Amino acid sequence: MRALLIDDEPLARRELRRLLSSHAWIQIVGEAGNIDEAQAGIEAHSPALIFLDIQMPGGTGFDLLERLDRPPRVIFTTAYDHYAVKAFEVSALDYLLKPVEPERLAIALEKIRRSTSASGQGANMPLEQLFVRDGPRCWFVPLREVSVFSAEGNYVRLEWGRERPLLGRSLTALESKLDSRRFFRANRQQILNLEHIQEVELGSGGRLYVHLRDGREIEISRRQARQFRATMGA
Amino acid sequence: MISDKTASLVHAPSRQLPNSRVRQLAYWGLQLLGWGFHFWAQASGEVVFAAVPWSKAGTLWGGVYFANVALTDLLRRVAKRNAWLEQRPGALFFRVFVGLLLVSLASFLITTWISQLVYGTPVAPIMGTFYGKLSARGQLINQFISCLLFDVMWVAIYFGLAIQRHRHRTELAHVQLGKALQAAELRLLQAQLNPHFLFNSLNSLRALIQDEPARAQQTVTHLARSLRYTLQANDEHLVTLAHELEMVDDYLALESLRLADRLQIARDIAPDALQERVPRMLIQTLVENAIKHGIARLRPGGTLGITARLASGELLVTVSNSRPMDLTPDAGGGVGLKNSAERLRLLFGSRATLHLDLSIAGQATAEVRIPA
Repeated sequence: MRALLIDDEPLARRELRRLLSSHAWIQIVGEAGNIDEAQAGIEAHSPALIFLDIQMPGGTGFDLLERLDRPPRVIFTTAYDHYAVKAFEVSALDYLLKPVEPERLAIALEKIRRSTSASGQGANMPLEQLFVRDGPRCWFVPLREVSVFSAEGNYVRLEWGRERPLLGRSLTALESKLDSRRFFRANRQQILNLEHIQEVELGSGGRLYVHLRDGREIEISRRQARQFRATMGA
Repeated sequence: MISDKTASLVHAPSRQLPNSRVRQLAYWGLQLLGWGFHFWAQASGEVVFAAVPWSKAGTLWGGVYFANVALTDLLRRVAKRNAWLEQRPGALFFRVFVGLLLVSLASFLITTWISQLVYGTPVAPIMGTFYGKLSARGQLINQFISCLLFDVMWVAIYFGLAIQRHRHRTELAHVQLGKALQAAELRLLQAQLNPHFLFNSLNSLRALIQDEPARAQQTVTHLARSLRYTLQANDEHLVTLAHELEMVDDYLALESLRLADRLQIARDIAPDALQERVPRMLIQTLVENAIKHGIARLRPGGTLGITARLASGELLVTVSNSRPMDLTPDAGGGVGLKNSAERLRLLFGSRATLHLDLSIAGQATAEVRIPA
């Protein structure tokens, strides 16, 4: 598995590199000392895993995740910011406290190894999860659990269970990244998750009304209705 | 954004007791009532024993009444303005004694003058009834002694109460000062035991152990010395600048390990300043702020400057650093700087100052002045 080390302290990177040397299946493809270098490194090497420090000059680890379209798997390494990592409400990620204990590292890597076979986020695969930060809280949101994406100005509101976090991208930009077999542009304002549909109701003038499992009702615009029928019929 | 580019961190204490108004009223109540009693005793005595009409006795002693109220109040104002209570006991006694004589003399002259106007004789008739057998000069002397007696009573009551209250307040202030200083030092200790710094240092150390054991050993020494200095924060309030700078060097050695070539250090310390005494951890706090809020946040790092020199009876220490151009709320350093300012105020009052100058973009300079 390809991994990138991101930490502003050279000695911390050296230490992590040595600790990882006993895990031969982890291949370190690069190091970064700040989030700009990290972004470049991730784009150049597309690692499957990053070790990410939180406090760095020029931006935090969270800032980096927000910039990435497809964040790799993340293991946070932190001296004393684990409370920040715990701010993740739902997360598939882990954190290690510095100085890193070899046993804890082994456990974290084992977790990664077991889960990667299930979900790979390759560049050509559709997006599976999104990093979302709304105020002090942040999440890795599994997209299959989101019922509706609604445009709010230049942002997108996610309807995700009880949470309604705001994502800092436009609806159109998001649409191009989503799996078109699962997500459908219902109207100018909304994208809905086809797997969350409970019932479709025919309205007057050829309009369609979709009832979702969470009780929401979405109107399919007349322009999209034909394509909706085609998608659902297929 | 910070609109006031130079933040003054040391404020003069301005505490007005909430019961000051009550004391003001009590003073005037006693003042008017006390001299009123004097008026009543003298005037009624004069009417009864010297058989003069009320109009004349009332005019004389009414005039004297206002003179006494004004004169003794003047004495109080002079004592307050010149902070007589802050003087040593001998000096205080001398001032009160001279003030008493002057007030009594003025009171006597006014009594004599009004008596001359009202009765055509300098000695008030009541004096004549008591000291009729004495000569005119003897009666005048007794008129002066009578004035003096009442002013002695006034001085005894007023300064007696004032001295007692002042002593009580001084003791209280002393206790409060000690407590505030302790609290400030405790907060400093908590802030200094910066866990982020500590665990990052330990992590660096772990990296060094195998590759560079000699450097690892040095690092343990720096870390141990730095921790010990921090933990002893409440041993002594003041240390020599030389000692403080030694500890700053230990701390900087650890930061250099973490920041590597991102941290440049420039020192300019005048040798004659080294034996001056500074609050323990003061410069270290400023240096730590400079790194945390300035250099560590800059990707290419920056330069930390420390200067110290003696100038016109003051020790002047500056700690300057590069900082990010964007002024985030914590650019002014937060708790650490406020705490340092508070400790300076508690130790030196208004004679020490701490300023953080952010007027130059990309640069921050903390400047401390301590009486040498």
